[in-house]
Amino acid sequence: MQIQDTPSLKAEARGLNFYYGEKQALKGINMPIYDKKVTALIGPSGCGKSTYLRSFNRMHDLYPGNRYEGEIRFFPDNSNLLSPDVDPIEVRMRVGMVFQKPNPFPKSIFENVAYGLRVRGENNRRVLDDKVEHALRGAAIWDEVKDRLQDMAPNLSGGQQQRLCIARALATDPELLLFDEPTSALDPIATGAIEELVHELKKRVTILIVTHNMQQAARVSDYTAYMYLGEMIEFGKTDEIFIKPQDKRTEDYITGRMG
Amino acid sequence: MNETQHLSSQFDEELSRLRTHVLQMGGLVETQVSAAIEAYSTGEIASVKTIVETDRKVNELEKAIDDDCAHIIAKRQPTASDLRMILGISKIVTDLERAGDEAKKIAKGVRRIYENGHLPGQYGVGIRHLAEAALAMVRQALDAFARLDTPQAADVIRADSDVDAEFKSIIRQLITHMMEDPRTITTSIDIIWIARAIERIGDHAKNVSEQVVYIVEGRDIRHTKEQSK
Amino acid sequence: MKPLTTEQIRAVIAKGKFRDNLFKAMGVFCLALALLVIVALIADMVIKGADRFTLDFFLNFASRRATQAGILSAWVGSLLVMLVTALAAVPLGVAAGLYLEEYAKRNWITNLIEINISNLAAVPSIVYGLLSLGIFVYQFGLGQSILSAGLTLALLILPIIIVSTREAIRSIPAMIREGSMAVGATRWQTCRYHIIPYAMPGILTGVIIGLARAIGETAPIITIGALTFIAFLPPVPYTEISEGVNAGLFDWVMSPFTVMPIQIFNWTSRPDPAFEVNAAAAGFVLMAMVLSMNAIAIYLRYKMRKNIKW
Repeated sequence: MQIQDTPSLKAEARGLNFYYGEKQALKGINMPIYDKKVTALIGPSGCGKSTYLRSFNRMHDLYPGNRYEGEIRFFPDNSNLLSPDVDPIEVRMRVGMVFQKPNPFPKSIFENVAYGLRVRGENNRRVLDDKVEHALRGAAIWDEVKDRLQDMAPNLSGGQQQRLCIARALATDPELLLFDEPTSALDPIATGAIEELVHELKKRVTILIVTHNMQQAARVSDYTAYMYLGEMIEFGKTDEIFIKPQDKRTEDYITGRMG
Repeated sequence: MNETQHLSSQFDEELSRLRTHVLQMGGLVETQVSAAIEAYSTGEIASVKTIVETDRKVNELEKAIDDDCAHIIAKRQPTASDLRMILGISKIVTDLERAGDEAKKIAKGVRRIYENGHLPGQYGVGIRHLAEAALAMVRQALDAFARLDTPQAADVIRADSDVDAEFKSIIRQLITHMMEDPRTITTSIDIIWIARAIERIGDHAKNVSEQVVYIVEGRDIRHTKEQSK
Repeated sequence: MKPLTTEQIRAVIAKGKFRDNLFKAMGVFCLALALLVIVALIADMVIKGADRFTLDFFLNFASRRATQAGILSAWVGSLLVMLVTALAAVPLGVAAGLYLEEYAKRNWITNLIEINISNLAAVPSIVYGLLSLGIFVYQFGLGQSILSAGLTLALLILPIIIVSTREAIRSIPAMIREGSMAVGATRWQTCRYHIIPYAMPGILTGVIIGLARAIGETAPIITIGALTFIAFLPPVPYTEISEGVNAGLFDWVMSPFTVMPIQIFNWTSRPDPAFEVNAAAAGFVLMAMVLSMNAIAIYLRYKMRKNIKW
C-alpha cells in the first residue's frame, strides 16, 4: 500500500456539453484534472476525447458554429476557461498544446521556440536566448540542436520535430500542457523518448494526454478517463483502471472486447 | 467474470486452452491424491509407481502452462480480468504441482511402511478421514476455478482450518502412541510425514481458492485472516 | 472470374501501352506546335526588326522618320505606369485577399463578394478604360496622366491579385495556423509572422502574372488618353523643367505619357513600310520586358519557396 496524499486540483470540468452546430459531441462531462499529474483520455474513435482536450485551450473558438455549455474551472484562481468573458488568447497563454502531427513552423529552430515569447512582446535577445535554451533543455533536445539553432526546423527528424514542438509549448511556462496523440505519427524509439519526457515534465507542469494506445496510457499516466460517445464512463487511478475497472464498458474496451 | 468475446478470437482460444490445461492438471493431481489414499488403506503398492509417473506428467503440464502464460503476456498485454486470470493461473499451477509432489511423498511413505511389514490401519488414527477431507478441498478448489465461483472458494478456505485442527490431533495421537510403545516409532514417524503431506495438500487447495477470489474480484486475500465473504 | 494467363495479361498490357504511347505522342505534338508558334513569332520579330537594334533605338524619341524613331518615351512610360499599378494594386489586393480569407465571417455577403471578384476578372479591359475616363480623368481631375493609367490597370489586375492571395493563403495547412494560435498569438500576429510570409511565393506569382498582363494592355490606356506621339519624358523630380522652376516629387505622376503597346500600334498603322521594322523591334523589346519580369518572379518564388516546408 502506498501512502497517498490527496493531490490538489488544477482544473475541473463541470457539466461540460459541447456542440458542433447541432450535433452534441460532449455530454455532461464532470472530471478533475489533478495538479502536476498526468491524466490520460482513452476511448474508441469518435468518443470525444480530442474534442474534450481542445476545449481546454479554446481551440474550437477558431471555427464557426461551435458552442460550449458548462464550465471548466481553472485553479488556483478558480476562473472559468469557457466563459465568454474570458479571452481565448489569455487561455492559450496559460494552456499549451502539442499536436498529433509534429507541426514546426518553417522557420529556424530558435525562432520556433522563441515565437511564443515574441508574441508576448519579449524582444530582448538575451532573455530570448535564455528561455529558448531552458525550453529546449526541458524538451530533452538541447544537446542535439544547440550547435544549429539557426537551421530550419522542418529538416529535423519526426521525433525531434515533436520534441521541438514540446519546447515551443514549454517556452511560455504553461500551467497545463495538452497532448493530442503526440506519438501516433512517430516510430517506437521516438515514442519512447516522448514518454520519458512526459514523465520528467510532470514535475513542473500538469499534463492532459489523449492517446489511442492503451499501453501508452497505462505507462505514462497517473489517472485515466475512459470516454465513449461523448460521455465520461469511468475516471480513476490508472493502476486501478487497468487491473480492476469498475464499469464493464471500461473493462470491455481495455481488454479488447469491444466490437 | 467477463464472458464477452475478445475482438481477437485467437486470444479467446488461447485463454480457453489455458484453462482446459489447468483443469487437466488438476484432474491428474486429484487422481494422484486419491490413488495415494487408496494405497494407504489397501496396501496396493503397485499403484505407487503409477503415482510417480503421473507426477512427471503434472510437472510437464506446469512448464507448458507457464510457458503459455508468458506467451500470452508478451503477445497480448492482457489487462484487467485477463491479467488477473493469467497471474492467477500461474500461481495456481505452482500450487497444483506442489500438491502433486506431496501426493508422491505420501505414496513413497506408504511404500516404506508396507515394506517394513506394518499395517498402518492398526495405528487407529484418522489418516483416511484427513486425506478425504483434503481431497475434497482439492476437488472443490478446482471446481471453483472452473466455474469461477467465489462462494465455493470461500468454503475451501474455511475448510482448511478444520484440516489443520485434525492434523494436529493426529500428531498428538501418534506422539502418545510412540511414548507408549517405542517399537512403533519408525512407522509412526512415517505416518507423521504422510499426515504432514496431506495437510500441505489442503494448504495448496486453499491457495488455489485464494487465487480464484483474486481472479474474480481483484482482491488479494492471501496472508489475511479473511474467512468468509 | 478465372485468373488471366500470362499471354492474356501481356495482350492487355500491350493494348494499354499502345494507348499510352498514342496519348504521349499527341501531347508532344501539341506542345511542339505551341512552342513552334511562339518561336516563330519571336524569330519573325527579330528578323524584321534587326535593323533597329541599336542603342539609339532605346534612347530616341518618336520621330516622323522611321530610322530615327526610338522607344524612349514608350519604355519609360511603361515602366512608370507599371510602378504606379503595382503600388496601387498590390497593397489593396493583398489586404483584401487577407481580410477575406482570415477575418471575414462566412455568410451570404462574403459569398456575394467572392462571386463578384471572379466576375470582375472577366470584364473587358476597354470597359475599365471607360470607367477610368469618367472617374479618374474627369471626376477626380487626374487628367490624362500616368496616375490615371496606373490606377486603371490596378483595377484591372486587382481580381488576379486577390484570387492569388486567397489561394496562397488557403494552401497553408490548418495545423500551422493552429500551432500559432495555440501558443497564444492573436489573429494579426499569426498573419504577420506566418500567413503572409508563407503566402508570399503565391502572392508574388499573382502579382507578376497581373503586371505581365497589364504591361500589354492597350485599349484602356488609349481610352484614357495616352498620347501616341510624345517627344518628351515625364519630369524627373527636383530637376529644372523651365527657368527657375524645379519639378516636384510627384510631377511625373501627373505627366502625359505613352506606353509600349501604343507606340507599337501607332507604328503599325503608318503607311510607310519602314515603320514595320520599328514595330517588330519594339514588339520584341516588349516581349523581352515581359519575359524578364516573369524570370525575376520565378527566381524570387524559387528562393522563397525553398524554405517553406510543412
